[in-house]
Amino acid sequence: MTPARILVVEDNLLNLKLVRDVLTFASYDVIEAQSGEEALRAAKETPPDLVLMDLQLPGIDGTETLHRLRESTLGSDVPVVAVTALAMAEDKERAARAGFDGYIEKPISARALPGQIEAFLNGRAT
Amino acid sequence: MGERSERTTRVSRASTELNQQLRDAREQSAASREILAALGRADADPEAILDTILERAAHLCRAQAATLYIPEGDVFRLSRDTGKIPEEFRKLLLDQPLARNRSSTVGRAAEEMRTIQIPDVFKDAEYLRLDLQSLAGFRTLLSTPMMLQNEVVGVLSMWRTNVKPFNARECELLEEFAVQGAIVMRQDALRRALKSKLKQLEALREVGDAVGSTLDLDEVLDQIVSNAVRLTGTDGGSIMEYDESSDSFHVRAAAGSSPDLLKRLRAITIDRETTLVGRAATDHQTVEVPDLAAKTELDPHLDALFRDGWRSVLAVPILRGERILGALVIRRRSTGSFGPHVELLETFAGQSALAIVNARLFGELQTKTSELEIASQHKSEFLASMSHELRTPLNAVIGFSEVLLDRMFGEINERQEDYLRDIWNSGKHLLELVNDILDLSKVEAGQMVLEPSTFSVSSALDYCRAMLRERATSHAITIGVEVADGIDTIESDELLFKRVVLNLLSNAVKFTPDKGTVTVRAYGEGTDLLVTVTDTGIGVPAEDQERIFESFQQGRRGAPKEEGTGLGLTLSRRIVWLFGGRMWLESTPGKGSTFGFSVPGMLRPAPEPHVSRHLPVVLLVDDDRASLDLNSAYLDGSPIRVTRAMDGVEALELARKELPAAVVLEIGLPRLDGWQVLTELKADPATATIPVVIATDVDDRARGLALGAKVYLRKPIRREELVDALQQVGVL
Repeated sequence: MTPARILVVEDNLLNLKLVRDVLTFASYDVIEAQSGEEALRAAKETPPDLVLMDLQLPGIDGTETLHRLRESTLGSDVPVVAVTALAMAEDKERAARAGFDGYIEKPISARALPGQIEAFLNGRAT
Repeated sequence: MGERSERTTRVSRASTELNQQLRDAREQSAASREILAALGRADADPEAILDTILERAAHLCRAQAATLYIPEGDVFRLSRDTGKIPEEFRKLLLDQPLARNRSSTVGRAAEEMRTIQIPDVFKDAEYLRLDLQSLAGFRTLLSTPMMLQNEVVGVLSMWRTNVKPFNARECELLEEFAVQGAIVMRQDALRRALKSKLKQLEALREVGDAVGSTLDLDEVLDQIVSNAVRLTGTDGGSIMEYDESSDSFHVRAAAGSSPDLLKRLRAITIDRETTLVGRAATDHQTVEVPDLAAKTELDPHLDALFRDGWRSVLAVPILRGERILGALVIRRRSTGSFGPHVELLETFAGQSALAIVNARLFGELQTKTSELEIASQHKSEFLASMSHELRTPLNAVIGFSEVLLDRMFGEINERQEDYLRDIWNSGKHLLELVNDILDLSKVEAGQMVLEPSTFSVSSALDYCRAMLRERATSHAITIGVEVADGIDTIESDELLFKRVVLNLLSNAVKFTPDKGTVTVRAYGEGTDLLVTVTDTGIGVPAEDQERIFESFQQGRRGAPKEEGTGLGLTLSRRIVWLFGGRMWLESTPGKGSTFGFSVPGMLRPAPEPHVSRHLPVVLLVDDDRASLDLNSAYLDGSPIRVTRAMDGVEALELARKELPAAVVLEIGLPRLDGWQVLTELKADPATATIPVVIATDVDDRARGLALGAKVYLRKPIRREELVDALQQVGVL
């Protein structure tokens, strides 16, 4: 079985590195993008199985990137999960309304992340 | 015969004289009675009575004319007369009134305060008003003063055109009329004073109302100046506001002034040094100019007034303590002093001062408020963005230490693991701090919104205990939870409620020595839910008990077992305030502390649960808490139970749940308005029969009744109206 391919969109290099290393360790195939534009290009080149996207991005923001991803290359069944530091209930709602399939709160737990990703991938399957 | 006839003549003359006296006496007493009766009437016309007095006096004393003089300053002016007086005489008296000296009987009577007679004006060396004599032709003069409390309020005077002195009886008669006349004048003066006082009071009340009720300064000042002009019977005026930066006065409000004049007044500079207005303000003294024409040099302000046809001006300073705020200027188109009105005008100036100060304070307050709002918004924005900026690197700190601790990339030694734990703990602590700061700033900015739900108090407390069990157990601390009977569910923000309890509980565990006890209690007090957390820790000294609620103050509670953020209590207390409750601390150093908080209005008042359960329920719906309180108070003591809703959705929910005996419904409601609520109630078979009493500001009775309301009341509603309405629908 080929490992699931995860597109990680995160402008902070340290956090990008952390998520990449944790997910690589958990045997996922990781593609990195540091902006919405990069994410759109990367998704076109190698369609991912799941997108993990920071909401606050330079240039086009997370929500806008999500919409463009859905419109262009990404099928409607690829889960896109928001990652954000704005950990309030209303932000959670906003993310849901914007069309994200899920929500992971910063700080990301290195221990919990692989399990969370797996759950979202399985959610797609059912 | 001659002798007899002479005697007869004498007798007959004597008898005629007696008869005459008798008739005079009768007439006099009739006149007195008539005057006294007129005086006693409520609608007595004082002028008519004075005319009667003059007429009777002249008639009974066989004088050709009777006159009444009234003092004005040092002179006496003709006030009324019996009418048979040449017009030139009146004109002369108007130009040259009688002086209070020996030059006339009137002057002498006033000066000596007694009746004065001049048998023949030609033979009296001191009599100097022959100018008058030449016009009226009098020879014998009689004058008597009208006295009130040792003061001459008028002089009654009579004359004969032949030389025939008034006899003693006639003098007495005139004196008696003078007494009556004085009474009439006093009554009239009192009535006038009362009337004008009433008018003044009315105007002052109006102005007072305006000062108190509107912050529109121009409106208040307009009212003040127009009332001042009206009440003093003057022709116009203005209120000048002093501008400190330019050290000059500007017209702020005016009455009886043409647009043209106002334009000119606005164009000139009224400075503080050289103008009448400026002098009044600087000297803190009312200044008047009774005749503008008589003044040699006019300041620009007075000059503009003079050119516009004004002849006399009064300026009253408007002051606040020593500070100049402006001046009230009152003017007339005729000359003359403003003497008697000064006091009233000074009161108006005082009102103006109050209005100006109020308006300025309000203006400052508004500026300050908006400045504060902006500052607070900046602070919130700053904290929100700082919080984000801090979380991002913290994410890496916590995440990488976690990766290493989990040996994702190989084994680590004990010391490395120890350090990594320290890094991880510090990162977590910092994160908590960032979260608390963000939340606190949200509460302070009013952005923290309650999300109420119904939850079980004891489950929430158990949850909190479970969260801290591990930490407590590791220090052999027992956590007890005691929930009083009858405490079941409450409607509040569950997350925030738990957060407060968790904070208090974790503090208690933190400051309790090993093997201690921490107890959480929940109980009711009236309709308030109270939650307390008691520890057996070191306690908080009295002087620290308030300070401890402030940010970053841990108080002298000994060293905690681990560090907190220093914001927990501050944040908790702010959350409790958001609930509408309070937070407190009772502590005895050495024995322990009890922190408590209340969530008000959460419990049903149930002193007699059996009775109240059977009482009919009345659902009051209003988005205005004061209206709800008022209507509840109206129904206090009635054999019903009141339940309340503050919006349309809540009203429908409660109506369906409680099936009340009646609903008292406001129309203007959030979420669903009263019309919608009424329609829904009537559409649902379960609630369709509940009678609805509309109690509202909205004026649409027809619509209310058409939609099925039983009674339509318009606010403000009196107690009887509400009780009647509930009786009408069969609830009371």
